[in-house]
Amino acid sequence: MEGPVAAADREALSHALVEHGDRLYALALRVSRDPDLAGDAVQEAFATALQRIADFRGESSLGTWLHRIVYNKAIDLLRHRGRLSPLPDEESGAAPADDRLAQVPAWSRPPDQILYGEETRRALDEALVHLTPQQRAVFTLREMEGLATDEVASMLELEPGAVRVHLHRARLRLRSLLGEHFKGGMVAS
Amino acid sequence: MKCTDLYRRLTDHAEGLLDKGDCAAIDKHLRECSPCGELRRDLEALARLCRESSRPRMPEGVRRRIETLLRESA
Repeated sequence: MEGPVAAADREALSHALVEHGDRLYALALRVSRDPDLAGDAVQEAFATALQRIADFRGESSLGTWLHRIVYNKAIDLLRHRGRLSPLPDEESGAAPADDRLAQVPAWSRPPDQILYGEETRRALDEALVHLTPQQRAVFTLREMEGLATDEVASMLELEPGAVRVHLHRARLRLRSLLGEHFKGGMVAS
Repeated sequence: MKCTDLYRRLTDHAEGLLDKGDCAAIDKHLRECSPCGELRRDLEALARLCRESSRPRMPEGVRRRIETLLRESA
């Protein structure tokens, strides 16, 4: 730390910890799949925020800014620990691969019979492992947290169109991966 | 409209980004093509599952470490 942080800035970050803490941790955890790394990423993000908050110009909200720092910290820590291995078709712009994913058999369990129980939670959790960290971040913020595409784009420093592409691929891949879980008239465990 | 055209526009459609003509073409295709209708049905079910999922909470130990960090920055 270069010097004391202004009381108002410390207060703002303390408030942000209360308001956004769980969501920041959830983002880091879902991106990294590692509770220890997620905790380190959020802690390091707040350390960075303390160093830089004097330069924070409020072009985005404090919450959006913190999400961006946490995401970058999680990716950096994954990279430093040698655990950032892209999936084979990552970022390849492979529309034919998307098309093949879209053509997998439909879930045969009717949507109104799909309940969010422990089995389903585990299946979704395991399926998320097969997404890229960036797809997991987009999917987490857009689909699980229900944030708007523009907000997710700002948090992850992506164009809104890129957010939609990642979201589309994540959805198709998860639908394919969860097909086994939702086949037949009962939940396959 | 071909199925492959629909796959690539389904997310834009769900986000209300397409004009009226494109929306009508997609809706017509979804009504008439069973596999594409099932695709949309599954994606809607997936979205619902995600909305119902609970968010992991920040462990107390991590929260305390950050509170200490903030306190010591004074």
